[in-house]
Amino acid sequence: MIRRVLRLTSGRIAIGILGFIAFLAVFGPILAPQDPLEGTTDILANPSSAHLLGTDYLGRDVLSRLLDGSRVSVLGAVQVALIALVVGVVPGILSVYFGRAFEWVTLRLADTLVALPFLVFAVAVTALLGNGIPQAMFVVGIMVSPLFYRVARAATLSVARSQYVEAAIVAGASVGWVVRKHVWVKVLPPIAVALANTTGVGFVIVSSLTFLGIGVQPPAPTWGGVLASELGYLSFQPWAPLAPTALIMATVWACNLLADAIRDVTGQAGRALLNTRKVADGSAVTA
Amino acid sequence: MRQKALAVLAAAVLGLSACAGDGGAGAAGESTLRWAVTLPAHWDPVVSGSGAQFRILSLAYASLTEIDEHGKAVPNLAQSWDYNDKGDQVTFHLRPGLRFSDGEPLNAAAVKAYLERAKTQENSALDGDLTSIESVTAQGDLDVVIQLTQVDHQIPLLLGERVAQITSPKAAQDPAKLDQSPVGAGPFVVTELVPGSHVYLRKNPDYWDAANIHIDRVELQTAPDAATVVSGLKTGVYDFANLTASQVKAAEAAGLDVVFQPGFNASNISINVNKAPFTNPKVVDAVRYATNRQEFVDKVTFGYGKATDQPFPPEYLAYDQRSANRYPYDPEKARSLLAEAGYAPGQLKLDLVIAGQTYATASEIVQSQLNAVGFDITIKVDPNWEKPFFAKDLALSLYGTTGRESPVQTLTAHFGPNGPLNLSTPYQPEGFEKAVSLARGTPLDSPDYAKNLQAATRAGLESRALVFTYSQPNIFVKSRKVSAITPIPGQIHWTGLKVEP
Repeated sequence: MIRRVLRLTSGRIAIGILGFIAFLAVFGPILAPQDPLEGTTDILANPSSAHLLGTDYLGRDVLSRLLDGSRVSVLGAVQVALIALVVGVVPGILSVYFGRAFEWVTLRLADTLVALPFLVFAVAVTALLGNGIPQAMFVVGIMVSPLFYRVARAATLSVARSQYVEAAIVAGASVGWVVRKHVWVKVLPPIAVALANTTGVGFVIVSSLTFLGIGVQPPAPTWGGVLASELGYLSFQPWAPLAPTALIMATVWACNLLADAIRDVTGQAGRALLNTRKVADGSAVTA
Repeated sequence: MRQKALAVLAAAVLGLSACAGDGGAGAAGESTLRWAVTLPAHWDPVVSGSGAQFRILSLAYASLTEIDEHGKAVPNLAQSWDYNDKGDQVTFHLRPGLRFSDGEPLNAAAVKAYLERAKTQENSALDGDLTSIESVTAQGDLDVVIQLTQVDHQIPLLLGERVAQITSPKAAQDPAKLDQSPVGAGPFVVTELVPGSHVYLRKNPDYWDAANIHIDRVELQTAPDAATVVSGLKTGVYDFANLTASQVKAAEAAGLDVVFQPGFNASNISINVNKAPFTNPKVVDAVRYATNRQEFVDKVTFGYGKATDQPFPPEYLAYDQRSANRYPYDPEKARSLLAEAGYAPGQLKLDLVIAGQTYATASEIVQSQLNAVGFDITIKVDPNWEKPFFAKDLALSLYGTTGRESPVQTLTAHFGPNGPLNLSTPYQPEGFEKAVSLARGTPLDSPDYAKNLQAATRAGLESRALVFTYSQPNIFVKSRKVSAITPIPGQIHWTGLKVEP
């Protein structure tokens, strides 16, 4: 699937941006030119060779703070997506096979979670369990999981009622075997789309919470936190919020672009599009 | 037919307008002050307690005395006062014909009821300030006789805007209701109060100095984010607002008037000497020598404040020059003191617990300064900070004071055994009680007053519980429609203030 995504321009752009962000998450703290926590007397300084993105209200290098804060933002977003994936997909598939009671309970649970405002809930949880990104993102992941539940359930339902699956069950195949052999292949593409989308949502949530000062203790830098502090000093540095904003926007956009690209290459229309391009390139013929 | 329908519609609109509350728009030609401010959580001055809320409550309540530009007690509800020869009894003489906004008379009995409520009500924030008052007697309608537990010449200052905003005794029978529906005898009367949203007030025609109140209406609106206050004034949404130091340049560039109101403010690092590691005086000294006050002035007050090592700004009467710069910034000494106390660099892990945004920048500065000398400080933001702070459960925190009219009250609040700003109660420095007693007993016009007051400050500064950092003026921004504000330290006096309609 990755190869097919890379054949699309949008897919290449998305993976390029997300690869860069992942690189920042891993190596950002090492690449930071200065100590992101150490203040200087040069407060709210304009960009210069010493401080490429200027300094903040305590004289700290903004570029170093953004690089150092990448890891928290990326890990938080990935945590949301992975927790939602695990919590949503398994009951989504099982709800088709585990009888009416299980189906009814999981559907009502999913409806309940969808009805709750997850940002407010995350704030409440940090007030209860302590101010930290992991606990906030754990809750958000569970609250976003109905998306995966519904996607997995819909895909499973479409497979479970097909004749070849019914034939396999009549021939004595177990539910586990059917899920492994037939259902999982069908469920995977929409889940990949949902995963890319949810990672983007995760970035928005992490940035929103840290913008509000929730999830991290000062002076730890985050993209949202840097943006919030820059907004307080607009009269000194009207351009300052641009860098953290651009980082957040580009990452979320790349996640959505990747989701679109996956959808395009795994859906009927996407396949047709790819095949048409292959014909034009002369690299393949239409099936 | 169409005209008839329009007439019915107009009548209905007029009728609905009449039924509605105070909708927020003053009548044409009325003088209205629109103030963007953090709305008080409490409107009962007995409960309101600390903070700058008394400044807002002064719209609805008048106090027994007030202060002038020099911080001297001057008449307000009380037109005069006199002490007995010994100095342990003071009689306040009220103005005749005073009335609360609910029609009740504001007489000696009402003042007595207020002071007794402030001393005894369970959730009173003022009881600790009234320890000098033994009993209150109403002598006739106009004389309030206060018997003191000790000779105390600070009482006229004490019973000013912060402690003695007199409430209607009838309304105070239900303190919970009073807390959200103020009934006082101030220059304005609350006509609509929506917690967290807005408060509308109208001029009180029964205010004793109503002739000098030139504003018809005040609208308090919840203050927006600091960065948008200036644009709110520039676009005419507000006429007046509190301003953070970071926004001063923007306000000046927008052509607004920035007012630096003098004040008695001082911020501090609060230490609990009853809790380890601060039970060791060397650790406290390490904090003292690690503190670079100028950094607070530069980064928190943007240069508009002053470094101070006492609970008031350096120009204040009670500021003791002999104690100035007793613990100068010396990170090397701080490091060696910490080593002498037995802590290797990074070994001493401590939580610095703060309330929230108010002290966010200051907390980061404290953290970096203490970590630089070998502490390992973690900042903890606790939205319910008041509870552990006033229960004295924290080891290290930050706080500040907007100051008090009475300098002795400021000293006892910080250094006294029951002081609300003393995180280490019941600890008090040796000799403080005696020095304070001498300052209390000195008449305010005595040539020894300043000397005795400063001696009390000096004794208080022996306390290991507080490291003072900086003082900054109260900064306001106003549109040109609002006339000049009299520079009363820490307060806003509404008399004489004008707003163009």
